[in-house]
Amino acid sequence: MMELKKIQSTCIIDDDPIFIYGTRRIMKEVDFCDNILVFNNGQDAIEGLKELIDKGEDLPEVLFLDLNMPIMNGWEFLEDFVKIPNPDGKKVIIYIISSSVDPRDLERIRNYKMVNNYILKPLSPQDLENVLQDVA
Amino acid sequence: METLPLNFLIKDSPASIAIVDPNMHFISHSKTWLNEFANGHSSIIGQSYYDVIPDTPKELKRIHKECLEGKPNVNTGYKLIHSNGAVQWLKWKINAWREEDETVGGLIIVQEDITEEKRSQELLMKAKSVARIGGWEMDMVANKLYWTQVTREIHEVPTDYVPNLEEGINFYKQGKSRDTITLLVSRAMKDGTPWDTELQIVTAKGRELWVRAKGEAEVINGKCIRIYGTFQDIDESKRTALEYQKVSDRLAIATSAAKIGIWDYNVVDNILVWDDNMYDLYGVAQKDFIGAFEAWEACVHPDDKEKSLKELDMALAGTKEFNTEFRVVLSDGEIKHIKAKSTVKRDEEGNPLRMIGANWDITKLKNTQLELLRSQESFEGAFENSAVGMAIVGLDGKWIQVNKSLCKSLGYRKSELLKLTFQDITHPDDLDIDLKLLRKLIDGKRKSYQIEKRYFHKNGSIVSAVLTVTAVKNIKGALSHFISQVVDISSRIEVQDKLTKLLDITSEQNDSLLNFAHIVSHNLRSHSSNLSMLAGFLNKEENEEEQRNLIGMLLDASESLNETVLHLNDVVQVKAGTLEEMIPVNLFKTIKDVKKNLGVLLREKKARCSIDVPTTLDIIGIPAYLDSIFLNLFTNSIKYSSPERTLILKISASKIDDTIQVSFSDNGLGIDLDKHGDKLFGMYKTFHKHKDAKGIGLFITKNQIEAMNGRIEVESKVGIGTTFKIFFQIN
Repeated sequence: MMELKKIQSTCIIDDDPIFIYGTRRIMKEVDFCDNILVFNNGQDAIEGLKELIDKGEDLPEVLFLDLNMPIMNGWEFLEDFVKIPNPDGKKVIIYIISSSVDPRDLERIRNYKMVNNYILKPLSPQDLENVLQDVA
Repeated sequence: METLPLNFLIKDSPASIAIVDPNMHFISHSKTWLNEFANGHSSIIGQSYYDVIPDTPKELKRIHKECLEGKPNVNTGYKLIHSNGAVQWLKWKINAWREEDETVGGLIIVQEDITEEKRSQELLMKAKSVARIGGWEMDMVANKLYWTQVTREIHEVPTDYVPNLEEGINFYKQGKSRDTITLLVSRAMKDGTPWDTELQIVTAKGRELWVRAKGEAEVINGKCIRIYGTFQDIDESKRTALEYQKVSDRLAIATSAAKIGIWDYNVVDNILVWDDNMYDLYGVAQKDFIGAFEAWEACVHPDDKEKSLKELDMALAGTKEFNTEFRVVLSDGEIKHIKAKSTVKRDEEGNPLRMIGANWDITKLKNTQLELLRSQESFEGAFENSAVGMAIVGLDGKWIQVNKSLCKSLGYRKSELLKLTFQDITHPDDLDIDLKLLRKLIDGKRKSYQIEKRYFHKNGSIVSAVLTVTAVKNIKGALSHFISQVVDISSRIEVQDKLTKLLDITSEQNDSLLNFAHIVSHNLRSHSSNLSMLAGFLNKEENEEEQRNLIGMLLDASESLNETVLHLNDVVQVKAGTLEEMIPVNLFKTIKDVKKNLGVLLREKKARCSIDVPTTLDIIGIPAYLDSIFLNLFTNSIKYSSPERTLILKISASKIDDTIQVSFSDNGLGIDLDKHGDKLFGMYKTFHKHKDAKGIGLFITKNQIEAMNGRIEVESKVGIGTTFKIFFQIN
């Protein structure tokens, strides 16, 4: 396996506690990152990320976004996220991560330029290694 | 002289004889003389001739003198003009009688007044001249032809012209006239047959003339010695006659071709004369025609007799012209319709003398009229009873005639509709196109058009119709009116709307089914992926505590899976359009029961409920669905109540027309409808941070309501509350 540089900070936006547990665990296994931020819906994520900017902290490098969530779903999050002023202009790499195999969803994802890729649940260690490769 | 016996003889002589002495004194005379020449004297013996006839002209006196000198005088016609202007023609024979000594003893005068005879002769001459009758004679022995003056004038030849037979014949016009005269003359010469014919000559000046040529031959011992005759210019009358003949021929041809019968009724003597067309018209043989009024009367149809006779009487009385129609029955039973017209000729006192008239056959016309009437009646019948709305519309758009169907479709009475124009009751959005097309009809660019348009029913509702308008022209080709056919398709449109709605529902259901499939796959996949992930971890985990943790999560995940399957099952049941029967369900009782079941939760929240639902209101629905709907609404209100205030629920219901409207409102958190309105009733959509929010309740509620032909609406404001309105159809 190639030696890859680990990511500093990542963010998971998902309402499923089991998925979050599993992801954390796999990230630890593959030594994916130092910091993991978790939000349970889009609304929380927008508010949390805004807070980071306000505090002058860096935004996470990679963002894993679920689509089906209460209050604010993944799509709505994407719409609000691009409106957040990003002072250091560093690009946040976004992965949609969902159990949806609905082709309409896949089609829709292609229309979001900011979305890097789509990962079908369940998340595997290989998926995370691919992400690391992409980021590098 | 032995006078006595002589006197005696003279006295009874039928001739006018007088004997005078040398002094012209009457010695003797016949009785006739006394009658003729005595000028009223009863006795003239011894009196002077000139005393008795004082008017005796000098000329005659001179003749007398000469005769007394022994010179006899004879005159066959002497014209005397008396001093009073009277004309007298005398004829005489005067001889002297002598004494024994041969001296003249006096005169024997035989005298005759031939004035009458001469006048007739003169008149005849004049008449011949006026009538242009000329004479001619052919002396066969001398082979000479003599023409009188008038004959020459007719031939327009000089007065000294002397013709021969050949020349005479050649004056006849070549062709029929010359051939005829040649034949007639040669026949007369052969056997003495006379002729009297009318032929044409060509005069010396080249004019064509009609002449009447008469001739006869004198045959002695089988030999014709002379032919003679008259020759009359009849050109004018002949031409007139020919012209008349032509005109009357033309009339005859016309009347015969038009089958117009002409009749002439002598009113006074009851003589009826028919022309040939009349016999044909009445189907009467000429030989059977009795030539009287009764002949006509017998032919008239019994039903028309009284009327016809009355009309005839009125015509004779002069109160009304004879211009009528009646039927006649022919001998073979055929019935003809006759049109009759006539004029009445009257004497000076106005009494009718003759009626002359014309009859013609109008059976065809009558039959056509009858057929027209019949077809008109059947048209009117069809028009009136047609299931299609029909109208005759004037050029100004006014209804001229409308039928029952149209009145029914539009809700107006006939009399009401006839006061309106089609423009009055046409939907404004459809008027332009209608008028535009109508314009094309008026301009002759189209003969008809068809559009789908909307009318207003008398009650204000819209009547959808297919309108077909056809232009009708009058006999002169000008536009006279329109025929409109209005097929009411409101019910069809209604059905169409229903179908569209059904289609919408179907496609909606199709969409939601597709959605459902994806949701199912998504939801099941999310659980299954969790399960497989946890199982994978568990397989590798060596730490016992962590193993227990993983098993706990596995249980949670499988419980979630189970729950999801149960939800999906609920949805499937509603989606499957349950076969359960719709029955009347008491609304008030349903709401009360649900409220009772949730008593513990409501009490926990200290919720206040006001239920304003008439206890008699029944909804046709599925009891389990209604329970589920209200349970969900109550639960939602409790789940999403505001922590800042006491939950107040207001439930009311009312019946409006054939809809029952249920209003369910709370003063809870409210939903941002601008943001979530379109997803509110979607599957797995939640809008609140609530641990129990599953996003399935309203989806199922909506589907249950729709399964009972109802619908649900929502009004909500964040921080104020939410009101759901449910509409149930009674039918």
